[in-house]
Amino acid sequence: MAVSGRVGVLSWWRTPTARRYLFGYTLLAPAVLYVLLLVGVPFLFSLYLAMSDASVGAPVARFVGLENFQAALQSTAFYKALGNTLFFTVGAGILKGLLGTTLAFLLLRPFVGRKVVRALVVIPFTLPIAVSVLGWKWMFDSQFSVVNWALSRLWLIGTYGSPDWPVWLGQPNLALMSVMFVNVWRGFPFSAIVLLAGLTSVPPEIVEAAKVDGASFLQRFRLVIVPMIAPILFVGAAFDTVFTLSDLSIVYLLTNGGPDGATEILPTLAYNTGIRAGALGRGAAISLFLFPLLLPAMILLLRTLRRREH
Amino acid sequence: MATVAYRAPRSHPSKEIRRHTLIYLGLLPFLLIAVFPIFWMLITALKQDPDLYRMDVVPFWFHLPPTWRHFDFLFHNTFYKDWIVNTMSISFWVSAITLLTAVPAGYALARLRLPGAENLGIGIFMTYLVPAIILFIPLARVVSTLDLQDSWWSLVVVYPTFTIPFCTWLLMGFFKTVPVEIEEAAMVDGCGQLGALCRIVLPVSWPGIITSVIFSFTLSMQDFLYSLAFVSISEQKPVPLGVATELIRGDVFFWGSLMAGALLVGVPVAIIYNLFLDKFITGITGAAIR
Repeated sequence: MAVSGRVGVLSWWRTPTARRYLFGYTLLAPAVLYVLLLVGVPFLFSLYLAMSDASVGAPVARFVGLENFQAALQSTAFYKALGNTLFFTVGAGILKGLLGTTLAFLLLRPFVGRKVVRALVVIPFTLPIAVSVLGWKWMFDSQFSVVNWALSRLWLIGTYGSPDWPVWLGQPNLALMSVMFVNVWRGFPFSAIVLLAGLTSVPPEIVEAAKVDGASFLQRFRLVIVPMIAPILFVGAAFDTVFTLSDLSIVYLLTNGGPDGATEILPTLAYNTGIRAGALGRGAAISLFLFPLLLPAMILLLRTLRRREH
Repeated sequence: MATVAYRAPRSHPSKEIRRHTLIYLGLLPFLLIAVFPIFWMLITALKQDPDLYRMDVVPFWFHLPPTWRHFDFLFHNTFYKDWIVNTMSISFWVSAITLLTAVPAGYALARLRLPGAENLGIGIFMTYLVPAIILFIPLARVVSTLDLQDSWWSLVVVYPTFTIPFCTWLLMGFFKTVPVEIEEAAMVDGCGQLGALCRIVLPVSWPGIITSVIFSFTLSMQDFLYSLAFVSISEQKPVPLGVATELIRGDVFFWGSLMAGALLVGVPVAIIYNLFLDKFITGITGAAIR
């Protein structure tokens, strides 16, 4: 556009393009402002809080530099929570991937009742999380657990009070397995449906062609299907990682980090430190340790999304 | 048709039966593990207490007549009615805020060929991934500055932080599918840009708008952390928080009422979410397919 001098700028403002831009950015403003004010600013504020000694009782905070981060790095509870978080996320992620893949292949080809089965199998993902966790808390009850009833009737364990009676949420290793199990239970339908969406987007002719060329099922999966659906797998995995890393409700409601820190993860530690104990600065610092863990997932997603655009 | 049967030998009846049997056998464990908790919660909600706390009989059916007592308890001895009203009010206001911001934003990003629109869209969507666990401590300050602590209004302010990014992204994809021609025709007929949006584009976009309302509702129902952190007065709680915190007194669990209260909202939400699940999945993966 040949814009020169003041007159040119003024007349540019009257062009249809300029009016479209003005209209467009006006429409965008409310959403952008809301997100900036309530996600962007709080995020920066949490950086500030993490470097202050702010607490619920004393609103005027003092700058303390990296003290809160150092304090976290010097406490054994933090390392325990970090280790649990990593073990929990990776372990549950692998299980969800395996179960989701199996389920996706079972649901891939048409069969009688496919829609009904699909609707039933995704129930764990669609129930509000607090609701289903309460159900599991009852099923893992120390005395009236239906799981234990079944195991006891199958003679795999003794009766209530016998030494091999598992207290799912009360024994350190079992408790960690139980919270992981509930996370897997909730997440496997999501993996399956995401994978299914990917698999159905692969043109069948390509798979058939590979079959004609003599590729085995595993070869077809690894060399033809996976590369084609890789972007979807990335996006699905990124979302699941973020959901899992940042979810507090499963652990909070089932064990609240117990017994004796065996199931403590960074979100519960951040909540208990920041809100329950009132040390806002400490809590903010602990929750920020999640950020480097989340970053790879976010970068992966960003790259996948941007690649599509170009 | 002989040729088709010849070209597709898989549809041979006995082979079909074998294939179905294998698929059903493979699916059976998945179905059991997915559905059993619902069944178990339902039967718990309907059993009398003496029937609930015993291990000597098969627990999968009633040994005493079923009862509505746990539901009665919920409605007469707790704030369950208030929690439902709170949840509905929160959902209503969150949906309203989300629609008022995400519809114009989604439209602008999809349609107006703005410089930087793609990056801005991705940027807004990425904020959906900034988790509550990082934001809840600073947002606690925001909530107390607005003097909304211990009121469900705090959740109305906070929930749009995840519904706006998600619904803007969803609606952006949706508006891209509305044909440009009808809009151009309207503008030729003398509508301005805003007129074309309100009179032509919005009326044909109601499926996208309804989907946004559904997600504002279901995503709000999935929250636990924000309500736990911001609302501690019994009458102000939304259902998931109320059920999870008010029906456990010390070491005493009201299991029957807990399950009743959880299912009463959980099942409707699960059904609605189920119907819109494909839209949710397309919303977050669609970007990777196209």
